[in-house]
Amino acid sequence: MLLEHLAGNLIQGLVLGAIYGMATMGLSLIFGVLKVVNVGHGAFIMVGAFITLWIFNALGLNPIFSIPIAFAVGLGLGLIFYSLAIRKLLKAPELSTLLATFAIGILLEELVKLIFGSEFRGYNWVVGKINLGVTVLPVAKLYACIGSIIIALLLYLWFNRTRAGSAVRSVVEDDEGARVCGVNVGGVYALSFAIGIGLTVASGVLVTMFIPVGINPYMGGGYTLKAFVIAVLGGLSSPYGAFFGGLIFGIVENGSYTLFALIPGVEPFALTRFLSFVMLLVILLIRPTGILKAK
Amino acid sequence: MLRVRELESGYGPMQVLWKPSLEVKKGRITTLLGPNGVGKSTFLTTVFGSIKPWGGKIFYEEKDVTLVPTHKKVEMGLVLAPEGKHLFLNMRVYENLSMGAYVKKALAHKEESIELVYSLFPRLKERKNQLAGSLSGGEQQMLTIGRALMTKPELIMLDEPSQGLAPLLATEVFKTILKMKAEMGLTILLVEQNAEASLDAADYVYIMHEGVIKAEGKSEQIRNSSEIREAYLGV
Repeated sequence: MLLEHLAGNLIQGLVLGAIYGMATMGLSLIFGVLKVVNVGHGAFIMVGAFITLWIFNALGLNPIFSIPIAFAVGLGLGLIFYSLAIRKLLKAPELSTLLATFAIGILLEELVKLIFGSEFRGYNWVVGKINLGVTVLPVAKLYACIGSIIIALLLYLWFNRTRAGSAVRSVVEDDEGARVCGVNVGGVYALSFAIGIGLTVASGVLVTMFIPVGINPYMGGGYTLKAFVIAVLGGLSSPYGAFFGGLIFGIVENGSYTLFALIPGVEPFALTRFLSFVMLLVILLIRPTGILKAK
Repeated sequence: MLRVRELESGYGPMQVLWKPSLEVKKGRITTLLGPNGVGKSTFLTTVFGSIKPWGGKIFYEEKDVTLVPTHKKVEMGLVLAPEGKHLFLNMRVYENLSMGAYVKKALAHKEESIELVYSLFPRLKERKNQLAGSLSGGEQQMLTIGRALMTKPELIMLDEPSQGLAPLLATEVFKTILKMKAEMGLTILLVEQNAEASLDAADYVYIMHEGVIKAEGKSEQIRNSSEIREAYLGV
């Protein structure tokens, strides 16, 4: 019985974690390449959620189709914000890009509020549930999980098997070293920022497949915070480190939720959020380079 | 092959280069000598383009390349083996070399370039599967030069290749530099503090002090001028 509970929670946690991981890869990619902390991260997840909502309600399209559309929109947004703001601030003190991304986040939230209003929305995608014996999993969540894994794999292949990917890796390691190899470092910055934002907006689609209700302009804040914890878990500058960080985070969050719910009089959701910050503090204290990185 | 005219640059509000001019002739080793902190490295990084020039002109093969970005210069055959090495420390030795063959014209010759680098630096072949971060200082210096050679350059700018090396290793490095000129037909712009060894290797020498070229001449002329030696080289 206990074992079944454990297995059930582990599966739920992994499914949740895959989405968390995917939703953090963009943040890590941008930090790894540009050393820019995207404080507006969650707002881009929110944009992805609204794209899904709009496409589902207005065009009646399956949310899966929203993934490439959201990615493309994210690429465009990334390029626009990079050339308008980030590029000019790269050589300025770090606080400048922090404030710029914070401002971009607010801008997006208010723009979406202007168009869609601030009430909570949702969509109803009926795909049923699947009984795994130890636990029952909504099929939409399963799709979201599979989607996350596929996207993470694609990113891994792009990173390690393509010429552009090798250029990005070289810039992560040493940008002057990349320059003397003939890498267009400015181009890599633009590309990585665009792909990072593309991944983040696309992850917003997956988030709604997981939680189809609760879409509103300010939903991103919680994801920004979680993404920071996950990114630190995974070693900050590695996108797939972030993915595995997400898996761990998902298991811990789901497991702790289940445990907290057993304590009478406790609101488990608030406590899991508290726990994630305890986790962040502990990691920063004992392994500030992330628990997954050797050095 | 490379002509620099009245170059000015620096960091933030601080000007480092005060209009030095210099010429590098094809097939020669040209050395820029001077003590630490006089702007030699700034000169190379500005010519390469990692730092934008504030003023002056840079001509490469008679083309004005003053504002040409670094990746275009690598494609044109002008490359820098930078000070501080800037290796990819978490990548293996051969991965560092492969990255050197990033530009298209270099990619076509990748395998033969790697063999060439290994024949020049047999130590790198022995250590090809090791992470660059685990190499000794001398091996890292070899890898920095090797990676620059992978770009198929015509003019290679070497920033203090003997820095921090034991005398015996430094002699090895200078022998290799002479080989690169004689056997590979490379043109070399060498920046050094090590006057003795680099005067031996150089065909033509410029002496820099506080961002200005103070003297120039053939290697023998500089060696025979006790004034120059005492004033700027301390030997």
